[in-house]
Amino acid sequence: MHPATEKLVSLLKEKSFAVEACDYAQRGYHLEIDLEADRLRELAQCLLAEEMYLVFVGGLHVAPAIEVVYQFASYDRACRLVVRVAADGDNKVPTISDIYHGANWHERETRDFFGVDFVGHPNLIPLILAEEDVDLKPLLKADDDLKESAALRWVTVEEQPETEEKADKD
Amino acid sequence: MPPELLRMIIAAVLVVAFVFLNAMILGYMERKVSAHIQRRPGLMEVGPHGVLQLIIDGLKLIGKQLVVPEGSNRFLFRLAPLLSFAPCVLPFVVIPFSKKLQIVSMDISLIFILAMTSINVIAILVAGWASNNKYSLFGTFRSVAQAVSYEIPMLLSLLSIILMTSTFSLQGIIAAQKYYWFILVQPLAFIIYFVSGLAETNRAPFDIPEAESELTAGFHTEYSGMGFSFFFLAEYANMFTVCSIATVLFLGGWKGIPLPLGDFTGIVWFLLKVYGLLFVMIWARWTYPRVRFDQLMSFCWKYLIPFALANLLITAVVVKLI
Amino acid sequence: METAQLNLEPATDIPHDNRYYLNMGPQHPSTHGVLRVLLEMDGEYIINPQPVLGYGHRMHEKMAEHKNWMAFMPNTGRMDYAAALPYNHGYVALYERLCGIEVPERAEYIRVITSELNRLVSHHLWLGAFLLDLGAFTPILYTFIDREKVLDILEDITGSRLTYCYFRVGGVSKDIDDKFVERTREFIKYQRQRFDVYNKLVTGNIIFIKRAEGVGVISKDMALRYGVTGPVARGSGINYDVRKNEPYSVYSKFDFEIPLGQNGDSLDRYMVRLNEMEQSLRIIEQALDQLPEGPYLAKAPKKLKMPVGDSSFSVEAARGELTYYMISGGGDIPYRLKIRVPSYSNLSVLPELGQGILLSDLVTAMGSLDLVIPEIDR
Repeated sequence: MHPATEKLVSLLKEKSFAVEACDYAQRGYHLEIDLEADRLRELAQCLLAEEMYLVFVGGLHVAPAIEVVYQFASYDRACRLVVRVAADGDNKVPTISDIYHGANWHERETRDFFGVDFVGHPNLIPLILAEEDVDLKPLLKADDDLKESAALRWVTVEEQPETEEKADKD
Repeated sequence: MPPELLRMIIAAVLVVAFVFLNAMILGYMERKVSAHIQRRPGLMEVGPHGVLQLIIDGLKLIGKQLVVPEGSNRFLFRLAPLLSFAPCVLPFVVIPFSKKLQIVSMDISLIFILAMTSINVIAILVAGWASNNKYSLFGTFRSVAQAVSYEIPMLLSLLSIILMTSTFSLQGIIAAQKYYWFILVQPLAFIIYFVSGLAETNRAPFDIPEAESELTAGFHTEYSGMGFSFFFLAEYANMFTVCSIATVLFLGGWKGIPLPLGDFTGIVWFLLKVYGLLFVMIWARWTYPRVRFDQLMSFCWKYLIPFALANLLITAVVVKLI
Repeated sequence: METAQLNLEPATDIPHDNRYYLNMGPQHPSTHGVLRVLLEMDGEYIINPQPVLGYGHRMHEKMAEHKNWMAFMPNTGRMDYAAALPYNHGYVALYERLCGIEVPERAEYIRVITSELNRLVSHHLWLGAFLLDLGAFTPILYTFIDREKVLDILEDITGSRLTYCYFRVGGVSKDIDDKFVERTREFIKYQRQRFDVYNKLVTGNIIFIKRAEGVGVISKDMALRYGVTGPVARGSGINYDVRKNEPYSVYSKFDFEIPLGQNGDSLDRYMVRLNEMEQSLRIIEQALDQLPEGPYLAKAPKKLKMPVGDSSFSVEAARGELTYYMISGGGDIPYRLKIRVPSYSNLSVLPELGQGILLSDLVTAMGSLDLVIPEIDR
């Protein structure tokens, strides 16, 4: 691990963020944090101070609650950080658009596609979708397709369930 | 019918015909020259090397519907192209194509031409205002500011020649260039005049009122068919006028190696020089990027006008001393 | 530096009735596609430019949730139409890593060569279009002559000229032959001479320099806040290139430089892209020299079985960092695919970038960002 990344990890741990190192060779990012919505802004401020830029903000429709995925990365070394935040009951997540200005559009887009309400966003109007499609939320899954959040967590190739093998052969 | 009136009618017809012909030649020339600058063949389809293309284009433009945009001032909108076209024709009346090929010989022909060419700006103002389009309005603002500013260095540079010849008559100025062309003694005035001329006729790199990539087409965005083509004709007529003044004042007008019937055939030299200058204009347009509006203005007020004034002063002193 | 901005602070003290709105786009010559920018203006000065997106929206992310990798491949070529191969690359590379498929070395070299050729194509297009924005009509035809040559080379092996679908999980769909190598070498030689022409025609031109210098300045801090990547970030002096930072494919084997700017203005971005073209040529040259023999396509199962979980793959597209972030629930169809496109973040700078500048400068600044709108709208 790059020394600067190690420093970042210890800093985040100091602030009691649950940072976990990932296998970069398999997953393409180095660090992972599962976060409660109310600590998101604190984390974002911390990351901006550490000169991590925002790669993207994306939604993920899972049961029980929609998750918002943030990826941050560094300009001067290979260091990617994925943050997953579960929205609370009313699909609410605090905005980080005043900290990372680039998040403004990403959050509007996530609101378009998933209906996540970013609390405190100055201008949460449709960006990609047309104004009349404000309630379309195209990326929400149908009930049959919806999976549990826990069922989408990383498992290494060796631990993969064998069950699907049979289905493939049909 | 008195012979003088008959002469005027024939002359008027000839002048209008020449304006149309000039637009066709220039239109063809511009497209062909630009094509070769850009390493492509250009017009090739209609006629040999596409020489008849402009006739087809003309017919097409005549056949097009005149669209009047909603909310525009109908009367002014229709008036503007005519307002732009008519004054552009008039300078041709006094341009000395050859020693004897000049329809009216006026003592103040230079002032007459300058007065007529500056009417064009009013037509642009009317066109942009009547279009009810913000882009057109932008073009208009820019165009008016530009034309008003660039008239000053233009006139100042021409005044240096007037000081030397003490006449406003174009034939008189040509006659004064008996031994040498004035471009040799007034190179700075020529450059200032030519640059201002580019700006006056809204040609690139000063085509800010039309700036395709910014204002789509500036003041004539909303014009279609003949409405557009009148602006087009006016632009080319204006270019011709600007270049013929340059030819008369700096390049010895119709003078050149004597030809048989020199009193009439001087037109060959005259047209050669004019179209040579027009070629330079086209060349510049297809080579340079466009300047920005504030750069254009500061270039005029900070460089052209001071240099033109200095040139005028030096000329005045030298003329007085000699 | 402050030529453009010096005249006007974001003018809050202007009475409201002096402001008006101007719609730039969706059909406007300088928005390069169906982008609409709603401009709040005071005279020719822009107070607040707000891009309005979505005119070319196709919901690729939803399509990805219903298609296996091969069925979605053509979609990847249709986001950034100017440089589609890096989009192919990121997508197949993500699958390869997830499913543990070894890619033959020859295939990786072919990928790098074609991707870099595609980057050249994209920069050719940008160079012409940017200068068209500045009112120079001729350079675009010069760059298109060169672009045509690359497209012909690429067409021969990929089968298409614009929306490529050439890469496969496990390699590429068609091997390159000696003719390709020869033509590419010839092109490299030719292109090196053409830089001279570009420089004579454009770079030294005083009008061009005056128009581009100090216009649309993106500071390092601003780039960080907006997540700007690619040549736009490098123009601001940020030494960031996915090819160097997280070398994927065989990029670590090549010797190339990352051109950097200093001021972050339009001129710097122009110089960065122009130098990047030369670096691309260097990479292609080295790749052709080292090109190994061997298979060009590994055997991959028809139906891929992905492990459960999320993973991410970034490549350097022509406009910046492209990231595919996939969440798989097992099987061969992703549960969710998030596509992070570079132009999206690069354009999001515009509302701040465009404050208080002239309309002409906005056109310059937007041109220098090198936007491809279908990529932003997805």
